[in-house]
Amino acid sequence: MTSVAIPRPAIHRAGWLTQTGQVLRRWLIVSMRQAWGPVMSLVQPVIWIVLFGQVFHSLGVLPQFGEAGYIDYLVPGILMMTVLYSGAWAGTGYIDDINSGVMDQYLTSPISRSAIITGQLVQQQVVGLAQSLVVLGIGALAGARYSAGTGGMLVALGVATVLAAIFCCASTAVALISRNQIALISLSQLIVLPATFLSTTMMPAALMPEWVQQISRGNPMTWAVELGRAGLGGSYPEAAWWQLGGLVLLAALAFTWAVRSLRAYQRSI
Amino acid sequence: MSESTAPRSAIEASDLVKIYPGRGRRPAVHALDGLSLAVPEGRVYGLLGPNGAGKSTTTKILTTLSRPTSGSARVAGHDILREPDAVRGAIGYVSQGAGTDPFLTATENLEVAARLRGVSAADARARTIRLLDEFGLAEASARPVRTFSGGMRRRLDVAAALVHRPSVLFLDEPTTGLDPEARAAMWAEIRRLAGEEALTVILTTHYMEEADRLADRLLIVNRGRAVVQGSPGELKAALHGDSVRVTLVEPDPAGVRAAIAGVGGLRDVVVEAAGVGGVLAARTDDASAAVGAVISALDAAGIRYGQVAVSHPTLDDVYLHFVGHTFGEQTPAVTEGAAA
Repeated sequence: MTSVAIPRPAIHRAGWLTQTGQVLRRWLIVSMRQAWGPVMSLVQPVIWIVLFGQVFHSLGVLPQFGEAGYIDYLVPGILMMTVLYSGAWAGTGYIDDINSGVMDQYLTSPISRSAIITGQLVQQQVVGLAQSLVVLGIGALAGARYSAGTGGMLVALGVATVLAAIFCCASTAVALISRNQIALISLSQLIVLPATFLSTTMMPAALMPEWVQQISRGNPMTWAVELGRAGLGGSYPEAAWWQLGGLVLLAALAFTWAVRSLRAYQRSI
Repeated sequence: MSESTAPRSAIEASDLVKIYPGRGRRPAVHALDGLSLAVPEGRVYGLLGPNGAGKSTTTKILTTLSRPTSGSARVAGHDILREPDAVRGAIGYVSQGAGTDPFLTATENLEVAARLRGVSAADARARTIRLLDEFGLAEASARPVRTFSGGMRRRLDVAAALVHRPSVLFLDEPTTGLDPEARAAMWAEIRRLAGEEALTVILTTHYMEEADRLADRLLIVNRGRAVVQGSPGELKAALHGDSVRVTLVEPDPAGVRAAIAGVGGLRDVVVEAAGVGGVLAARTDDASAAVGAVISALDAAGIRYGQVAVSHPTLDDVYLHFVGHTFGEQTPAVTEGAAA
């Protein structure tokens, strides 16, 4: 048997993109081998579209929905809801890594902490994009029309990506702070449902009580849903740039929070 | 210990202190209480001590996983606090947990680990094939790691820690939880690494036999402090004379001590009770005289005993001598260490 170590070439630290790419590679393999996860998360929006589409069908006759009917109104909402729900689970992988010991390997390697976060975030976005395409497809089958065409769909998908980034990063930060699956999932449930219903995801503001309207105006979920709706429909609200700016700012803050939480985790061990 | 050719140190640590702050009603834990050590290059350096002695905490600090509350250390020539990434690039770390992703195959795990640490794609592939071959995992290379046995996983963890050709390898209790066959295989791997590579190995263990077989130098750690350092041979030689061991049946430690108080020529007397059994251990310069006197004394006091053995000092005796005596009465950890 020959020596393992000789020759010993000087090893340079991998570039940030290589590090991120390898973290992404790892998580993509995991998500493919655990295919039931992504598959279930594709089934969920199908159920939502059928369920909400049917239950709230008669809303479509109200004047607030115009001629398009409820399904056109609903699909952008379900699109954002889908990435919101799966994003909220993003932190669970970190808790698994902490419990198994894989996190110790990351933290004792010369890897940028932001590459660890970014690699997994990109994997979440790849899965989220696949889900989003399925939502748009199912929506079309259910009768929704995307009058702004491909460009509009790209806008909606882009907004979904920004919204997903906010919730993936927030979930990651909470995971690294709590280090507890049950705490993370409970907190996600606590936030995700009100975030959905206190927004214009399923119902126009005009049909909501005054106090809910107030809240929904400041709810990032509302911003994302209205931007997505505007993109697919082709007519943008006045506040569109503010809403987009707010979402991007929140995504940047959440990303920073996640990276800082990873550093704080290491300081605590 | 002076050495004529003054080898460079792979690791130098001084006065490491680690305090985990308490929370609520949980008190603060002083995991390390001023530990210093110097590890020469190219050797297997053992950290031996009971559970909770501070071995793993020392490893975590030296691998940059954890920061010391105070104190300093250099690993592979780099300061752990000022140049953590330089240290990280020079070390491999096999923690007590898993180092690999269970859903990835052995090959994927090693390739990702190598690329993350800056190995080029081509080199990572070649290195992966070679390491899997050397660690006897070539046939399992395409299987997800979750299908591996405990011994295979451990070998893969060690292989993963070597992908970037580190100069210092940390093995934190590498054989804990392995069956005897897997343990023997791991010992063979560690010996091979120590012999073939220009590699310094830091091995933490609470198994005497493991420390005795593998470590060129040994540091016994207890309660967050270094107790004694030397090669296993030196440590054993430092205990003059022979060891007398008497296994006891349902012993009353105080009674046993009282019974043999009058026996001359005994040193380092330790009496342990563990369940229904126990052991009386002592050292003496004249074993033949001491054995007879001890047996007579026990008989006279009506103390039941089993086997009586005389031997040259073992690492168990070293451990009892330094840990059992320096730190007062026997603790459960000492009993456990002696039983291993």
